[in-house]
Formats: sequence, C-alpha cells, structure tokens
Amino acid sequence: MKNENINHNQDYKYGFTTDIESIKAPKGLSEKTIRFISKIKKEPKWMLDWRLKAFNRLKFLKEPDWQKPKFPKIDYQDLYYYSAPKGMTDKPKNLNEVDPKLIETYNKLGIPLNEQKKLSGVAVDAVFDSVSVATTFKDELTKKGIIFCPISEAIQKHSDLVKKYLGSVIPISDHYFATLNSAVFTDGSFVYIPPNTRCPMELSTYFRINASETGQFERTLIIADKGSYVSYLEGCTAPMRDENQLHAANVELIALDDAEIKYSTVQNWYPGDKNGVGGIYNFVTKRGACRGKNSKISWTQVETGSAITWKYPSCILQGDNSIGEFYSIAITNNHQKADTGTKMIHLGKNTKSKIISKGISAGKADNTYRGLVDIGRKALNSRNYTQCDSLLMGNKCGAHTVPYIKNKNSSSTIEHEATTSKINEEQLFYCNQRGLDQEEAVSLIVNGFCKDVLQQLPMEFAVEAQKLVGISLEGSVG
Amino acid sequence: MTNSFQVNSKEISKIKTTSKREKDFRIKNLNFFNKNGFPNKRHEDWKFSDLREIIYKNFKKLNTKNTSVKVKKINFIKDFDHNYVAIVNGELHSSNFKFEDKNKIKIKIFKNKNFSQENESNPLICLNHALANKGYHLEIKDNYKFKKTVIIYNLFTKDLKDSILNSRNKIKVGKNSELHTIDFIINESKHKFVNNVYENVALANNAVYKNICIQKDKSQGYFHKFSKNQLLSKSKYSTFIFPSGLRFNKLDLEFNLEGKDSECNLQSASFLNKDDHQEIKTKMNHLAPNCKSYQRVKNVLSSDGKGVYQGKIYVKNIAQKTDAYQLSKAMILSDNSEFDSKPELEIYADDVKCSHGSTSGKVDEDAIHYLMTRGLDKKESTKLLINGFLNEVIEMIKSNSVKNFVKGKLKKQIYGY
Repeated sequence: MKNENINHNQDYKYGFTTDIESIKAPKGLSEKTIRFISKIKKEPKWMLDWRLKAFNRLKFLKEPDWQKPKFPKIDYQDLYYYSAPKGMTDKPKNLNEVDPKLIETYNKLGIPLNEQKKLSGVAVDAVFDSVSVATTFKDELTKKGIIFCPISEAIQKHSDLVKKYLGSVIPISDHYFATLNSAVFTDGSFVYIPPNTRCPMELSTYFRINASETGQFERTLIIADKGSYVSYLEGCTAPMRDENQLHAANVELIALDDAEIKYSTVQNWYPGDKNGVGGIYNFVTKRGACRGKNSKISWTQVETGSAITWKYPSCILQGDNSIGEFYSIAITNNHQKADTGTKMIHLGKNTKSKIISKGISAGKADNTYRGLVDIGRKALNSRNYTQCDSLLMGNKCGAHTVPYIKNKNSSSTIEHEATTSKINEEQLFYCNQRGLDQEEAVSLIVNGFCKDVLQQLPMEFAVEAQKLVGISLEGSVG
Repeated sequence: MTNSFQVNSKEISKIKTTSKREKDFRIKNLNFFNKNGFPNKRHEDWKFSDLREIIYKNFKKLNTKNTSVKVKKINFIKDFDHNYVAIVNGELHSSNFKFEDKNKIKIKIFKNKNFSQENESNPLICLNHALANKGYHLEIKDNYKFKKTVIIYNLFTKDLKDSILNSRNKIKVGKNSELHTIDFIINESKHKFVNNVYENVALANNAVYKNICIQKDKSQGYFHKFSKNQLLSKSKYSTFIFPSGLRFNKLDLEFNLEGKDSECNLQSASFLNKDDHQEIKTKMNHLAPNCKSYQRVKNVLSSDGKGVYQGKIYVKNIAQKTDAYQLSKAMILSDNSEFDSKPELEIYADDVKCSHGSTSGKVDEDAIHYLMTRGLDKKESTKLLINGFLNEVIEMIKSNSVKNFVKGKLKKQIYGY
C-alpha cells in the first residue's frame, strides 16, 4: 500500500493515510471479482445471482458522456473492487476488537465512534474503504425495532426486506455507474424504521477511502415504514493522492404512507491539488421514492470536495400529497468540476416539490446545476418551485444552469428562477471597513448566500458545513 | 413509408452548381442527412420535439421536387403603406421599394459563396446546405434609414403537397442603417408540406434591425427555420414572433453579439391550439463586453397544443458587464396540452447580470371569478385573460398601425378558441 503523502496541500486536513494492512480482491472487473466479493461477504445465492445479472447487463452499457465535466477514461480493469482492513473479514463484535489504528483514524476525522463518549448522541456506521467498520448505539435502536446495520449484515439477517426493496428505486439496468455499483457494491448502510416510529437520534455514516487504486462502491438502503421518521447524515473523506479514485455509490430511499426521510450529506472527498492533479471522481446515484400517501423525502447536500462531482439526488413522487425537497450547496475551487442537481418526477396528485440550489465557483472550476421537473398528466394540482443561484469569483471559472421543465396538465404550477452574479463589492467593502480581511469577508458573504440551505442541516453538520464553506474558498480571492 | 427517407444524390446534379467545391459541399451534407435522417428526441436539441416521429406520423411520402412558381395575384396588406418583397415557395418572385432610395438597396436571388461551414450536427441544416438553391439576398448600404416597413410575403401555393422546400435568405444591414421587416406567411396549400429555411442576418456597427414574424391563417405546414445572426458594435436587433397556427414550427435562432454594446431583444406571444406544435430555441452568445439581451416567450396552450422553449445564454469570459435575461411564461388551459422549457445559462465571466425565470400554470381562478361577478361568462373571462396575457408582448411594438394589425391577427386566433 502506498503511504506517502504526495501533496502538501494544507487546506485538506483529511489528507492523511492510515497504515493498516488490507485485504484486496484481485485487481480488475470480472466475474471472478464479483464471486470473490460475494463469497467473502458470505452472501446467499440470490444476491450473487443479482450481482451477476447486473454484471451481464453492464457489458452492454456505455459510460454516459452527456454531462458537462469530461474526464479521462477510467480503466476499470486497473481498480481494486474490494479492500478491507485486515481482521475485518470476521466482523468485530464490539469496539475493543477493532484495530486501534482505525479508531485513531476516525478520531482524527472527528467521528464519535467511541460509544462511551456518547459525544453528540449520533449513531454512526463507519465505512472504511469497502467494509463497514463499526456501528454504534445499536442496542438503543434495537429496542425501538429500528434496524441500522451494514448492508452486508442486512443481506444475511433481513434478507426478505433487502430482497423486496433493493433495486426497486434504482433498477440494476439503470445506467452505467449504477449498474457497476449493483455488480460490485461492497458495503454500506441499511436502515429500516418500523411503522409509527420516530428515530430518536440522527443516524450517520462516514465513508473513507484509504487504500490506493481502490474504488468505493457503497450501497445505502433506507426504508421508512408507515408513519415513521428518520434523519440520516452522511460524510465522506479520503486521503490525498495524485491519482484519481472512483466513488460510485447507490443510495435508495423508500418512504411509505405518512413517512418522512431527511437525508443530509456533507461531501468532502479529496478535491485534488491546486493544479487539478488527483482527487475523487464522485459519480453517485441517489434516488428516493415517495411510495405512500403524504410521504416526504428531503435531500440536503453540501458538496465541497471531489475532483468531479456528478450526482442528482432525485425524488419520485408516486403517492398522492407527497413532498420532495432538494437543498444544495456546491462549491468548486481550483480545477474542481461539479455537475449536480435533482430530478422531481411528479406522478401522484397534489404533489409538491421545492428545489433550492446554490452554486459557487472560484479558481478555474466549473459548476453546473442540471435538474428536471416533470409533472405528469395525472399529477393534478401539483406544484414546484425552483431557485438556482450561482456566484462567480473571477473570470476563469464557469457557472451553468440547465433546467428541464415539463408540465403536462392544466392544474399544476411550475416556477423557476435562476440568477448568476458575483460578490457584491459594496458588501465586501462594508465588511472590510468593519475590520474583516478579504477572506473572512468572502466567507461571511458566501455563508449568507448559502443560508437557506445551511439552515436545513442538522445542528452537528451545520457547524462543520459552515467551516467547510470558508475553507473551500481559501485562496480564491485576490 | 418515410421510415427511411433518403434523398437521391441525383437531385444535386439537377442543381446548377458553380464549382466543384460547391458540389462536394452539397454532397457531403446530403450524405450526412441520408445517414442520420430526421432528428429524433435522442438528439439533445430535439429532446422535446421528436421530428422524426412527427414526420413519420403525418407523411406517407415526401419529395424534393421544385414546384412551378406561377402566381396570379398576391393579396397585399392594405392596412398601411409598405414596401414589399414577395417570395413564392421560397423563391424570390418580385419586390417593390417605392418609398425608398433604390440606390441604397440591393436585392437579388441568393447565391451561396461560403462552403466552409464547420460540420453541422443538425440534419435539417445539412439538408438545407445540400439542396437549397433559392431564396433572397437583401442588402442595405451604409447610412440609410428605411422610411416604411418592408413586408416579406412568404406565399405557399396550392399545388404544394408532400414536398420539402429548402431555401436560404440573407439580410445585410450596413453601418448606421435601419430596416424594419415583417415576415408575413400566406399559405394557400391545403396539404401537408415541409419548409426548411436557413437565414442569415448581419448587422454592421450601429445598425438597427426590427422584425416581426406572423402567420395569416392556420395551415398544414411543417416549418423549420435556422437563423444565424451577427451583431456588431452598438447594433440593435429586435424580433417579435407570433407564429401560431402551424402543425409544426421550430425556430432555431442563434445570435452572436460580437461587437461591444450591442443589444438583442426577442419577444414572442403565441396561442397554440389543436394540433399545434411549436418550439422556439435560442442561443444568445455574448462574445463581447457590455452587451444586452432580453428574451420573453409567452405561450397559451389549449386542446392538445404543445409549446417548447429552449433558450441558452452563453457568456464568454471577456464579455464582462453582460446583462442578459430570459423569461418564459405559459398558461395551460387543457390537460392534453403540454409546455416544456429548458432555460439554460452557461457563464464564464463574473461581472455579469444573468437571470432567467420560467413559469407554467393555469389561468388565475380568482381573476376569472372576479370577471364572472362582473357579468362575463367563463369563456369570455378566459378569453379576456388570454388576451391580456399575450397583449403584454404586442404592446411593445412601437408603430400603432403595425400593432393594430398584429392585434387583429391574434384576436382571430384566440376567438377560434
């Protein structure tokens, strides 16, 4: 395993690597690799068949090429599809059995893995490279009947639930990266909230890519049964390397009658250095289905990391009166590229959706909002409101807005607004006058610009996100 | 039929070509069209208007025959004094500039001299490149302001049936000159046909060009127009589009604001009723500093009418102080109608003011209620509201006589509702 830090980028504080021996699957994408992953995970046969079906489908698919950020061709045969810290092949029963070095890593990341500390009362599932390392607060959750565990465990213990819902929102034949994930996904989180239960704490997953030349393919499945509520947080970091690493996750959310899911992401994968070398390719498929009446799915994302971000958390509003929300901040600096947005597909009656997107572009970065609002013929009395604002810093970066708007019935209303501007000179001057230096002032103004979205984040994340906003833009002014 | 509509390369040998270069250019473009056929929705630019499907559904056969051009009489507009250019089936028929200084105006049959166009990905433009051999070329010399409007009568004759017409037009307005035109489309054919136009407008420094495009009656035409417009320093371009009543109409407009301080203004109001399908696609390229562009597209959709607006504002990194705005509003009256829009921004300069808004929704119920309490019935109230909705655009026309003329035409369409 490579261990040297090639870059000396001080801005990215999560750029360390952890020296832990790891077990890897044979390099390359093949049926053998998939069988290896399935075997090491002790999966039942139906799961293996499901993966192989996806793999066969993959052979006929091509990588999409319509998106704005172009990237060099990925050599899928030159990647490790499974990498696990040694000793993880048998799951640790409790934290004492976990490699102390791993715990140290998570402490560096500021993740409260240690149950005794009970720092913020957040239940955490930490995913290191390809496997889920530890899940905290299990007992308390079990009492309520909530299942929160690695998906590999759920496949064995709750196979009926997994079988029923896995792939029901993102079918295995969806698109290249989703299908790739279906074939080789290694771990991720599984959440099931029983009927009429309000999850007492925030559930959280931290993802970390440590080993080099690995791709991370996690899969998250969240099911909120009738009348339940859950808030889920996701955070991501990776060491600094001068190569590009692939992260292609699939996240599926299912909300049944009267259920509500709130999904928040702070994505801070390594963005590459100032010259655009290295960084993570973040090609993620996130989709939620409001299956039941009066259900609600809300996505909040703060995207500051990754060399290329390419994701569109979507809501399929099937149930009558269901609600979809999307709040996003995407910050790109240096050579980062982000192409992100959402899809709101209205199928049920009286469905509502709201999209607030804030894009900030600095350095030589490109930031694109791309979204679809589609109100079907039968989605009577539906409503959508979209607002996309972009902020540009300097004339070497770009900000783009590509909304697709379709309205197919006469009782629905769609409103869309977008603006592009730069930081107001007068505001900057005012801040300078009050004693703030240029960078502090920019950070303050940008935070204000993003306020609508930051407010949607749970407390624990909001503080971190605010800091991130400032850090991501360091060096972009002047 | 038309599952694979192909044009025989013999058609090209029928066209009088001046050079081998021209012939090669035409053949190259024809091959591209034959290979790709009519564009379908897999084409990003045709996502909302699947022309291939529309053509297959409505045409049993298609031909590229040049029809005879014999017109006995053109019904000129008598509402106001004007100059005219008459185009019959795409071909220049006659012209009259009796109110103007004829030394300042040049009009002739269009001859293409530029065969170096970069590769086009739109098969219809390629088809036009390959087959177009008619159209007009209108040139206005420097320092001349037109006294009266020029009406360009676009007449389509009765004998048109299942044909594809390809024509090219060019308008050049010299320095400090001003020209106002009205494209007036009169369709006498009761049959279906395709009209495919490629248009160029070039405005020199300080030139002003105003254009109104309007349809006489509902017709069976399937129209596609690609228009490439060049704006040099301080020039002003304004266009009003009122093209309701065609079975299919796609206007693909590209504006290149190449000179500093140039301005472009695009306004459209249409009432789309049964069997109407209309798409307005714009690309506003801000290539120099301090330019302004404004786009406003208003649609009322009834029955199974479909309206599409695809607008793009592109701002190059040197085009600082750009002020660009896009607005699309749609009023949907029926559950079978549809409005799709894609207002796009692509911006590389930071000191700019760019925004867009897009709304689509129903008629304001409160307003209807109000009007009904005043004694109007529901239909009348709706009509009144539609009128008000679309009139906002018409009110922007400065000349009173032209305004009233347009109002009359639009009223006729709405009252058919």
